[in-house]
Amino acid sequence: MKLFGHKPPTTAWVGLTIVGFNLLLALLGPFIAPYSESQSVGHTWDQGLIEIEIHNGFVFIWNTFGPWFGADPGDYVPTKGALILGADQIGRDMLSRLIYGARMTIGVALVTTVISFFIGITLGFAAAVLGSWVDILLSRLVDVILSIPLLIFALIILGVFGSSIPVLVLTIAFLDSTRVFRLARALGMNLTVLEYVEAARLRGEGTWWIMRREILPNASAPLFSEFGLRFCFNFLFVAALSFLGLGIQPPYADWGGMVRDNAGAISFGVLAPIWPALAISTLTVGVNLVVDWFLSIEARPSGAQAEM
Amino acid sequence: MSNTNDPSNSSLIVDRRQLMAGAAALGLSASFAEPTFAADTPKKGGTLRLGMKGGSASDSLDPSTYADSIPIAYSLAIWNGLVEIDAKGNATGELLESWEAKPGAAEWIFNVRKGVHFTSGKEFDADDAIYSINYHRGETKSPAKGLLSAITEIKKLDSHKFQITLSGGNADLPFILADYHLIGLANGTKDFTKTDGTGHYTLEAWEPGVRILLKAKKGDYWKAGRGNFDTVEIRYIDDTAARTQALITGQVDAVNRLDPKTANLVAKNPAVSVVRTKGNGNRYAFVALRDTAPFDNYDVIQGLKYGIDRQKIVDNVFSGFATVGNDHLVAPTNKYFDASLPQRAYDPDKAAFHFKKAGMTGPFDLEVSPGAFDEAVDCAQLFQESLKKAGASLNVKRVSGDGYWSNVWLKSPFCAVYWGGRPTADDTLSTTFLSTAEWNDTHWKRPEFDKLVIAARAELDDAKRKHMYSDAQKMISDDGGMICFAVADYLDGYSKKLRGGEPHARYDLNDERIAEKGWFA
Amino acid sequence: MLKLIATRALLGLVTMFAVSVLIFICTQILPGDVASAVLGQGATAETLAVFRKELGLDQPAYYRFFDWMFKALRGDLGISLTNQHVIIDELLPRFQNTLFLAGYAAVIAIPLSVGLGILAAIREGRPIDRISNILTLMTISVPEFFIGYLLIMVFSVQLGWFPSLSTVFPEMGFFERLYNTTLPALTLTMLVAAHMLRMTRTSVLSIMSSPYIEMAFLKGMTRSRVVAHHALPNAAAPIITVVALNLAYLVVGVVVVEAVFTYPGIGQLMVDAVAKRDVPVIQACGLVFSGVFVGLNTSADILAILVNPRLRHRR
Repeated sequence: MKLFGHKPPTTAWVGLTIVGFNLLLALLGPFIAPYSESQSVGHTWDQGLIEIEIHNGFVFIWNTFGPWFGADPGDYVPTKGALILGADQIGRDMLSRLIYGARMTIGVALVTTVISFFIGITLGFAAAVLGSWVDILLSRLVDVILSIPLLIFALIILGVFGSSIPVLVLTIAFLDSTRVFRLARALGMNLTVLEYVEAARLRGEGTWWIMRREILPNASAPLFSEFGLRFCFNFLFVAALSFLGLGIQPPYADWGGMVRDNAGAISFGVLAPIWPALAISTLTVGVNLVVDWFLSIEARPSGAQAEM
Repeated sequence: MSNTNDPSNSSLIVDRRQLMAGAAALGLSASFAEPTFAADTPKKGGTLRLGMKGGSASDSLDPSTYADSIPIAYSLAIWNGLVEIDAKGNATGELLESWEAKPGAAEWIFNVRKGVHFTSGKEFDADDAIYSINYHRGETKSPAKGLLSAITEIKKLDSHKFQITLSGGNADLPFILADYHLIGLANGTKDFTKTDGTGHYTLEAWEPGVRILLKAKKGDYWKAGRGNFDTVEIRYIDDTAARTQALITGQVDAVNRLDPKTANLVAKNPAVSVVRTKGNGNRYAFVALRDTAPFDNYDVIQGLKYGIDRQKIVDNVFSGFATVGNDHLVAPTNKYFDASLPQRAYDPDKAAFHFKKAGMTGPFDLEVSPGAFDEAVDCAQLFQESLKKAGASLNVKRVSGDGYWSNVWLKSPFCAVYWGGRPTADDTLSTTFLSTAEWNDTHWKRPEFDKLVIAARAELDDAKRKHMYSDAQKMISDDGGMICFAVADYLDGYSKKLRGGEPHARYDLNDERIAEKGWFA
Repeated sequence: MLKLIATRALLGLVTMFAVSVLIFICTQILPGDVASAVLGQGATAETLAVFRKELGLDQPAYYRFFDWMFKALRGDLGISLTNQHVIIDELLPRFQNTLFLAGYAAVIAIPLSVGLGILAAIREGRPIDRISNILTLMTISVPEFFIGYLLIMVFSVQLGWFPSLSTVFPEMGFFERLYNTTLPALTLTMLVAAHMLRMTRTSVLSIMSSPYIEMAFLKGMTRSRVVAHHALPNAAAPIITVVALNLAYLVVGVVVVEAVFTYPGIGQLMVDAVAKRDVPVIQACGLVFSGVFVGLNTSADILAILVNPRLRHRR
């Protein structure tokens, strides 16, 4: 089977499946979740179908019907898991919250990353192409912003603009764009001194044209790779800012926040925080497998890249 | 006359004893603790390593800045309190050995304990005691200032005796002097970079936010059987999971503030015991401003009070390590607690009735933050769910913990708050519910209530006084803007090697005095 | 080149000044001040007024700022408002701790991730590429405190190899420090490795499609030689940038890891200072942070110019 004119390898299929599955969850969440995301249907950290037990450094994995390995059935009487993945810190169904959380988590992360790349790339290339004072000004400005601790920054935003999801999105996009700027600028610097850019300049092409038609296509691989990562970093960034009071409000679920809220349980072998962490990890791996596939299409030593 | 450790005390002291007499029976229980503590005789030696939350890098030695557990713990190791609260909640002598009130309880004579010396070698005397109290009076930033505002005069009678005159009678003065800000300072102390205290330990390393290292002085401590460790190290461990792990892996010998959610799991560890002090921890509440719409409506308040599922919060947020609250702050362990007042339970129909009567079903905005207390957001989410069944809706707004107490509390119409336990019923009611109180966080102002509380303060007939406090509790519970849904337990974790970690009527870690009271088996 | 470095250093100082001004303005915008923060729930109008006067907060803001700045220029960062400590004495040991931990993590993470990244590029599509890729992706997608808890659970609680408290004290020797800080250093390594690894791999691979690389292949060079001699120098700029960003993160962004392992670094000091509105301490931390950023970013720029012959002789 071909996709966008290429035949994806197995890893890409895995990636595409994961991404597709998550998109499906995000779209259909409320229709497939067994419970509501806010209703407390059990008790704190009720066991699900799968449990682990730890003895002297060995991890034993159990399900409701008995041990999977490391068997000593007399040792442990598993509780019947009424909720498939158990309950969260106040007894809500973990599975339902994961399903509901997909929409919020993926949506916010995607929008922030797109905005942040738009700002970061535009300004980064502008700094690289225009050079001199534009570069100095923008670079120092970014240094200044990066130097202001996140905590203070978040508090100021909160104080001035209040707390809502658009504010959260724009804050993350803005802060994240400084990092994208550094990378875009470094890439742009390397490219602006190449012959074809010089040629375009001599032809009298405008800055915007050069940025768009000469620099962007040739810097796209590292930027694309960065996009895959930043998108995933932003899952966690959302949770961090929510904790400071900026953004997603309870009872809405977001995966990063779910890990945070349940984190204390892991020290005692309670699996509650593992599930949202696993959800983030799988999606991260999935997205980046797809990114890798795009990159590999482009990065063949074929010399055909300029056509893009 | 009356030595408080002597059973033949003056009538007032006996009163104070009775005040907390029910404490042990009612509330204090060491549910997981080994009951062997009392049988041991204290042994000397060893290094006590405490892992504590409740302090920061900006901690100071100046007693007018104390606000949390760690400063209380180190100050009581270096210095001594003026009055000690014993395990059952009685005021007993510490640097002030004994006291006596003149009839009317407006004039008090205090006897300073003899033979207690500072590190410098000077004996603690009446001048030091008077300075220690005056340090928190007059032009000062001390939070204890309000507590002492009724004092009109302090007069030295001789080298170890002084008299305090109050503007009105207050039978609870010894409890007020037991406040943790009031430690025995050497007369004239202003520079706290050098410490000179009467406690058993001297400051060896001062790294606030990291650790406080204390070394025992040479010779015997003036309190028999106490001050047993050679060295005490207080580690700042803010992260609850990190603190718990440090105890389990044996890197510290005791920790405070275990997470109620994992306390049961911690207690399974054979090397560790969990000590629970029931019913005396923080009171958790949502407070609505009674002079602000829609919370000025009596029926809205009733609806909210019936619409909160207290038991569910206690079970699911505190894993049962709390008791349900009844919307006033008087502790069940307090003598004046009115047990006949019915406990308000979750009743969505009744709540719906009141909301309907008020013609309002929300959405009501509730501002919460982990800065108010760790579990505030979780409690609010369960509140939100339980209100749904009553047909009302609640917007839970998570706000920043930063500056919560100066920006949100007392300003927001509906927000989360916690109140620490206070030693007396008068203190509890006056601080929070008097019209004139600075911290009246419900703006609930009822002149008849004010009159009642002020009259009860000087009432020496105990039956009458109890009746008055009972009325006061009823008024708050019914009409007040405070939805106090849970009273948490104190949860301490101790290594099994450590002794002396008993529950205490006031604070956790045995009244933050484990450094003084504990020993290794 | 010398002129470039001098200009950059000067600009760096200007940046640090701008940061100081901005942070000061921010602290003034934020509601609440040190007096209300320290007294907390115990504040009354009267005690607040006394405290503010005691701390000199009744002076106008611009006066306090310039007073601070001129003293800072002379190397005097002042005393903490909350506990009257000399800030530099409190800051320096914590900054050293932070640098120690960051250095420890960097020494493991940079060679590991850049090396693996190059290896992955050479063996693109092979198992080593896939495995390193997926493993590092999984580590970055887990919140830092969670990685910390997992490491503690395995290496501290279950196996007992390392302490879960990584607190270091002045009297500790080098190797004891190293031992104590192993778990936080590993946590940080896992956090930053993926980013650097992937950037190295991608940058190298993106150069692989250039005509001169094809030329090199046509000359019959092995893939590893092509990568090392031709692709890597030209792919260095983005790698250096990402390494610098991650180094900066190791210094200023580790407050959560500090909290999980109870490590006395500069992050926790800053958080405490912000919570208490201890402006001189915030300012001092801000200076350190901006110094680190400016230093690292400038070094990255200069290094990128040095390794790329075209940039060296620009115009």
